[in-house]
Amino acid sequence: MHSTLVRVQNVFGFFTTVAFTVAAVIALSTFIHPQAPSASVQLRNVQVVRGRPHYYSYKKEEYAHIKFDLDTDLNSLFNWNTKQVFLYLKAVYPSAKPNQPASEAIIWDAILASPSAPWHQNHYNHPVPKGTKSKTSKAKSKAKKEKKAESPYPPGEIHLSNQKPKYQITDISGKLQNRTDVVLELGWNVQPWVGALVWTNKKTYGAWEGLKGGVTETFDFPEIGKKMKDLEVDKGKEGYRLEVGGEHPVIKGRKA
Amino acid sequence: MADQLLDQFRDAIEGQIDFEGQRLAEMITTVLLGAAGIVAFFVGFLTQDIKLSVYIGLAGTALTFVAVVPPWPIYNKNPEEWLSSSSTAGITIDVDGQKVG
Repeated sequence: MHSTLVRVQNVFGFFTTVAFTVAAVIALSTFIHPQAPSASVQLRNVQVVRGRPHYYSYKKEEYAHIKFDLDTDLNSLFNWNTKQVFLYLKAVYPSAKPNQPASEAIIWDAILASPSAPWHQNHYNHPVPKGTKSKTSKAKSKAKKEKKAESPYPPGEIHLSNQKPKYQITDISGKLQNRTDVVLELGWNVQPWVGALVWTNKKTYGAWEGLKGGVTETFDFPEIGKKMKDLEVDKGKEGYRLEVGGEHPVIKGRKA
Repeated sequence: MADQLLDQFRDAIEGQIDFEGQRLAEMITTVLLGAAGIVAFFVGFLTQDIKLSVYIGLAGTALTFVAVVPPWPIYNKNPEEWLSSSSTAGITIDVDGQKVG
């Protein structure tokens, strides 16, 4: 420590040690932050169509187009060391040959930013639910756009209804119709500021509970051009009247 | 004249401090940086704000650089007294029991 240069080197050297140690302790501190993620995924509709991977392709492949409902509560994944959560929904179906592992294909994903992360264009903006649109004037909404886009929910909460897939999926064989035992499964990566990338945990480890729900019941990919089996959802009033009552629509001026 | 200026300039760059000052500088480095790290973690953890941790850590480091790197007068309070070249007579220097000089 006798000269300026030696003191600079000493202070900087010990600074790196302290910085590394604090970072390690921060990474470890996330393990005592309790987590209890839960989610529910539901299939809305699935269709298989024939198409080409790109415009000039001679190859025809089958693509599945899956619509879904998604409700998540992943707020507990966001602790002080969380930068963002990469959330994805994958379709899992058995391969054509029984000795091969099941195929997985992502149909939808989103980057959920934590409040501590600076704005980025790739961050997910949750759609504002219908009927709750703000009445702010155009000038105000413009000023808001320059800031952070505000989500109607906390960072880990998602409520999507009849959501279109981001990606239409195909199989390596190019054939997808009439496949059975398909499920949709939710998964994620937690990306921390410092520390290791953490994948979806299904089991409970200490303060971290596993994911509750997040898997649909099994369904089948229908034949091309055919709609999936009736999901037994409620139909509208008109549908009920024609089906249940069997009445014909009343036409003016005539008697039945 | 030019030599004097050059000497002053070299002294300012080298910034030498005495032995006691070196011990003190070492201590201050360890204590300040260590405290900055501990405070940074706990303040960040309690406020659940990692940016605060980063800024406290960096501020503590900057403070340590300012406190330790320049040769502040406090590090030169116990200057070593060198023997003058003419006063060696009458003083015996022992090295491993043998008389030198």
